[in-house]
Amino acid sequence: MADLLQHLINGLATGTIYALVALGYTMVYGVLKLINFAHGDVMMVGAYLGYAAAQKLGRPAQSSFLGVLLIFLAAMAGCALLGLAIERFAYRPLRAKPRLTSLITAIGISFTLEYGFQLDFGPLPGAAPRAFPEIIKATEWFVIGDGDVVIWNWQVISLLVAVALMLTLQYLVFRTRFGKAMRAVSFDHRIAALMGIPIDRVIAITFMLGSALAAGAGILYAIKDTAIHPLMGLYVGLKAFVAAVIGGIGHVPGAVAGALLLGLVEEFVVGYTASSWRDAVAFGFLIIVLLVRPEGLFGRVSAEKV
Amino acid sequence: MKEVLLKVDDVSINFGGLKALSHFNLEIRQGDLKGLIGPNGAGKTTAFNVLTGVYAPSAGNVLVCGQRVNGWMPHEINHLGLARTFQNIRLFRALSALDNVRVACRAASAHVDNRRLIQLRKQGLLGSAAAGLLEAGTNYLDWWRALLLTPGFLRNEQEIRDRAGELLGVMGLSPRATEEARHLPYGEQRRLEIARALGTRPRVLLLDEPAAGMNTREKADLMTLIGELRDQFSLGILLIEHDMKLVMGICEEITVLDHGETIAVGSPEQVRENRKVIEAYLGDSYLEAHAAVGSGGAQ
Amino acid sequence: MDSAAVRVSSAIPTGLRGLAPFLIAIPILAALQLAVNEMPFLVYIASIVGVNIILAVSLNIVNGMTGQFSIGHAGFMAVGAYIAGKFSLQLRDVAISALPIALSDQILLVAALLIGGSCAALCGFIVGLPSLRLKGDYLAIVTLGFGEIIRVIVQNTEAFGRALGLSGIPQRASFFMVYFWVFLTIVVARRIAASTHGRSLWAIREDEVAAESMGVNTTGYKVRSFVISAFFAGVAGGLFAHFVPIINPGSFTFVKSIELVVMVVAGGLGSTTGSILAAIVLTLLPEAMRSAFIALSGGQASLAQKVDQIRMPIYGILLVLLMLLRPQGLFGNREIWDVLPRWFARRRKGT
Repeated sequence: MADLLQHLINGLATGTIYALVALGYTMVYGVLKLINFAHGDVMMVGAYLGYAAAQKLGRPAQSSFLGVLLIFLAAMAGCALLGLAIERFAYRPLRAKPRLTSLITAIGISFTLEYGFQLDFGPLPGAAPRAFPEIIKATEWFVIGDGDVVIWNWQVISLLVAVALMLTLQYLVFRTRFGKAMRAVSFDHRIAALMGIPIDRVIAITFMLGSALAAGAGILYAIKDTAIHPLMGLYVGLKAFVAAVIGGIGHVPGAVAGALLLGLVEEFVVGYTASSWRDAVAFGFLIIVLLVRPEGLFGRVSAEKV
Repeated sequence: MKEVLLKVDDVSINFGGLKALSHFNLEIRQGDLKGLIGPNGAGKTTAFNVLTGVYAPSAGNVLVCGQRVNGWMPHEINHLGLARTFQNIRLFRALSALDNVRVACRAASAHVDNRRLIQLRKQGLLGSAAAGLLEAGTNYLDWWRALLLTPGFLRNEQEIRDRAGELLGVMGLSPRATEEARHLPYGEQRRLEIARALGTRPRVLLLDEPAAGMNTREKADLMTLIGELRDQFSLGILLIEHDMKLVMGICEEITVLDHGETIAVGSPEQVRENRKVIEAYLGDSYLEAHAAVGSGGAQ
Repeated sequence: MDSAAVRVSSAIPTGLRGLAPFLIAIPILAALQLAVNEMPFLVYIASIVGVNIILAVSLNIVNGMTGQFSIGHAGFMAVGAYIAGKFSLQLRDVAISALPIALSDQILLVAALLIGGSCAALCGFIVGLPSLRLKGDYLAIVTLGFGEIIRVIVQNTEAFGRALGLSGIPQRASFFMVYFWVFLTIVVARRIAASTHGRSLWAIREDEVAAESMGVNTTGYKVRSFVISAFFAGVAGGLFAHFVPIINPGSFTFVKSIELVVMVVAGGLGSTTGSILAAIVLTLLPEAMRSAFIALSGGQASLAQKVDQIRMPIYGILLVLLMLLRPQGLFGNREIWDVLPRWFARRRKGT
């Protein structure tokens, strides 16, 4: 029973991180119908930016409330700019071209980021993992029984931060004019353009938002894993994308649901078999979902106009 | 009484809350040339999509050559004998004109086996799993023959090439055989779509605005051609068109749709006089134009 | 697009047309084999290139001709490599008594390759059938996932050597054997392309809905192209296992899959000759670059290592530039013999 509870908590904690990344995927797919393969790597860049910010602040400042806030903001702002640049220079010129072209470009950017960060000259960090500074000192906040079930402070904080960010996004998408514009573009960007919606700006801002969320996820992940390395975004990104598909790609709440579900399933499978199967869980789960309900949990079956 | 090739029995289709088509009825026999008209958004192309299997009907039955085809894949319905053209030209743009028709002819050469399989399935002699396996087996065997370049395969390819060439000739496209479809002028692209549809050996041909974008002379030629095709290939034809003079000119019976509902069915004269049709669609300008021309065009 | 196929075939009697190219190719390959017999390094490089050609040409059938997006090709390679390798490993000391050892070895090798390829083809069927019903993007994720699942399975299976890999596989793949399969793959790809079946694949690529409405069983065709592609990827993997000393999951990663996608796209989606050229260039270029840098830097190994490291991000940037500047790749969707005459004609006219 205690095991079950522990797995549940761990699963939710991982799931919320996946959710933050999945949201970026689902939003970008919604407006551009593009799988942004580079998204997971933006998360990685966010983690490194957070690392740099923490280093700059130094101890004890990096652990203060303000310090942590600054670290998050620095990473999120930096990644927002990165996302903006990627969209502007790599995706926008190809918007009219067949989607395969953009997909391959996305892969190219992913590669560039992953392997670029593995080089070790100049400002580039190099392939070796680095310990992420303990900006949140790990303490057990809730202990049930004799240490049978432990809930860590960073897990709770992670959950709260993630939920806060998601609620902000939810508000943005469903209760602001900009959000309405976003949704209009995701339905049909040509009609949206005809209606006077500045689609370039909407798409650019969507990218920035998604990238900022990914940066937040990157820092939370770094806190959880206590280390960062250039390939950390690859698998998290893939799993987050799987989560988005499971929830129904393009569907914002669906991405969160899918991610939490995936986090839980992954945690339980690993808990009861072996950790070497971790990576296969996500894809196995995906294949099952695609076989049974390809539009995802919340997705709408979209009919193509003939 | 000629066999009913296409029977549409009280078909409706809804998209969410939108009733795109309600209680649609139609019969096409060999030799028929019928028209389907209505204002934009009336549901004409949707009707074509339901008949050809792109959408499954929400209610009612579609029967091709006596076989109920609700929920069938479009290629299976095509094998039974229903072919179509598209409102917005959907040619295989990078392929040559000849190749566009060859693809259709290749699909048609699979018909014979498939029709037999369908019959066996209907008679209960073959479960659908077994039928599926047999079909898959024949297809893989086909590919083996293609890779080995067996004499039978080469002969088959030559027959397909010849037949495609003939169809291009019928539509007046022979000089364009090796040109890429995307480089053809608009009118010829529309004719190529018809040639391609004919490649599938249909018994019923659904033409979605085949004369759109053509000038008066081209339209007149096309309409004569359609009548000839009907006779030459023993087809039943259903036509969607916006050009009233055309439709009234060659169709024997016209169905009028508006907002998914059938508001009139009858001969060109009956439809022309029908109050509801005039209100929904034709408008006063047509009546004036028709009065000016006199009674020419009505058959 | 298939102009060459039509021209060449008419001179040959119908019954022999299937076999004809092989009657010419086999003696040539045998001659080449004798020529390179004493140059093991050359044979090794040529074999690597050959394997990549098979992989690229087979991937082109799915990604190029059929217009699908499969990015897990390395997974099929892995299946072929491990199954064929295991087969040969188990039968290491077995020989067909009636035949000389060399011949017996080759026959066992071919058996291993066919078994490996067939297993890969079966995987292609199992993966393809459900996913090819779905929209294009999903196939990408599923094929990626498939590659990863294979990797994880191998890493967790003792019989396949887990992360350390499989060693001791008899190194029987000769230059002749590798290039025989290269030739076979190319012939198969070209024959598919030139036939109406290949045209139907193109039709699916151009407009799937229209193809379906014209009687083309699009799912069936897509699965068939996928299965054939997987078969040859499996054979390529099997060949690979028989000329490298050890195979481990690290040889069949997502990176490998992406390298293959780059080859197919750079050569031109749908162009068999484009895939061949791209495979050759993109396999040899990094090697050439590394050798050049070693030579230039006077044997400084660390600099060469830096070059190797920088290869990957440059790869990524090249990919982006390729898509921005020449998305159709080298030959677009044509073959070299369609494109070259036009290049020369333009040169002559001075345009």
